[in-house]
Amino acid sequence: MSGSELNLSVNIGQKLPLKNPVMTASGTCGYGAEVARFYEPARLGALVLKGISLTPWPGNPCPRITETACGMINSIGLQNVGLKAFIKEKLPVAKALGSPIIANILGGSAGEYVKIARALEEAGVDGIELNVSCPNVKKGGIAFGLDLKSFTKLIKAVRKDISGPAIIVKLSPGAQPIEAFARAAQEEGADAVSLINTVPAMAIDADSRRPLIRNIVGGLSGPAIKPIALWLVYKTSKAVTIPVIGIGGIRTGRDAIEFILAGASAVQVGTASFVDPAAPVRVLEGIEGYMREKGIKDISALVGGLVTGCS
Amino acid sequence: MPMPGQFFMVGLPGRLDPLLKRPFGLFRHEDGLLSFMYRVRGKGTLIMSGLVPGDTVEILGPLGNHYPLPEGKYRIRKPLLVAGGTGVASLLPLLRELKKNSIFVYGGRNRDELLCIDEVRGLAGEFIAATQDGSEGVRGTAVDVVTDLIRGRDKDGFLLYACGPAGMLKSLQGLGLQGYCAMEENMACGTGVCLGCAVKTSTGYKRACTEGPVFDINEVVFERF
Repeated sequence: MSGSELNLSVNIGQKLPLKNPVMTASGTCGYGAEVARFYEPARLGALVLKGISLTPWPGNPCPRITETACGMINSIGLQNVGLKAFIKEKLPVAKALGSPIIANILGGSAGEYVKIARALEEAGVDGIELNVSCPNVKKGGIAFGLDLKSFTKLIKAVRKDISGPAIIVKLSPGAQPIEAFARAAQEEGADAVSLINTVPAMAIDADSRRPLIRNIVGGLSGPAIKPIALWLVYKTSKAVTIPVIGIGGIRTGRDAIEFILAGASAVQVGTASFVDPAAPVRVLEGIEGYMREKGIKDISALVGGLVTGCS
Repeated sequence: MPMPGQFFMVGLPGRLDPLLKRPFGLFRHEDGLLSFMYRVRGKGTLIMSGLVPGDTVEILGPLGNHYPLPEGKYRIRKPLLVAGGTGVASLLPLLRELKKNSIFVYGGRNRDELLCIDEVRGLAGEFIAATQDGSEGVRGTAVDVVTDLIRGRDKDGFLLYACGPAGMLKSLQGLGLQGYCAMEENMACGTGVCLGCAVKTSTGYKRACTEGPVFDINEVVFERF
């Protein structure tokens, strides 16, 4: 079924027009090529690839994941091939898939973020998602995401040097108040914010008395965090005029619609892709089905369309 | 066509808890019917054990690599299959290929734990069971049996295929045989994207779902023991 009579296009700032609002969430589609055997990546609005650091990172010891009620905790530790191999080996393959490519990047310092972003601009990516919210690495990342001052400085530094790709800032659910972080991102020139990253969490085996994640703490994802994510997207979208990209437990078209009604312009599908590799396409088809059923021709008519108060 | 050692992700449709599929080694593939062997260990397997004919499960596969058959320079070696507990499920498809050209060592806590023992005994060229309580075969572990078996013999005459608890695999590694082992790790996706099922090897982390589940036993770094 085609969505040709429907308009699902959205703009992530002025730089990144997407044909529809559904993207993969970073860390759930590898470097793009891995999902091409399950669906045509070009059907999606964009692919957000696995987070990249300046040098290769080995990742954390196992167990790295454990399932909890309606969700899972991970502490992968941002295992990745590093910037050089990413640009040389992974990016050309990803670009050939026909979908806009958003790179997710993480550094130990503002200088590292800038260096990675510059190299990616030169290599030609459509967007850069600044990961300032990964709970699973010791240096950098969430250190920027929870401290407003270093957060602001980081975005200023990256924005100053990057003019081509759209800049998206991925927020942590722990950033408080989230409105202040989103406003700072907007003021420093970010094209969009995406939220939420995983929620810091842990799980324990009462028999062995051991944590079920080797790193003790990890990040919770999946349907369990959807209500939290909805609330934070709702609050954030009221605080800024730049697009908000909703993430957190989305596995159906209706889930995505809920985020859009809460104020998201686009969505990312994450953990659901672990259950069903084609989940992002099913979410897209679900959105189209909802629009047809309700007689909505343009998805922008739904953004922030939450009805409150008495009827 | 699924190969011995490959696995499928199996899940219960429409459920949020359990949410993820779980990996199961293919136990049998006959007349278009796939069979899996499992022990009830948690929520998911408990629900699975209550399914009745006509119920639906979701499967994704076959996934991962497979046990390499003894070919080329390994053709003259004797395949030595070592199963611990439910590790037998992964090795039985291989045994069905090798048949009499094999030695099969099967270890468990007691006789009740040695599932499919009659099929294994019937197929293998040479069969030795080991139980910790002596209720079947020799008293001791599978590793004890292998240690005795290779004593005084040329290690290069064997090609090891092992599947079972990590402690057993680590001890087998210590015996200095060449061969393969199938690794188990917590897995979310089974398709290579989540990086959850990392196995530490001498050349860095590898994914059990994609570069594995079968590894060169001498490349694996067993760090939890």
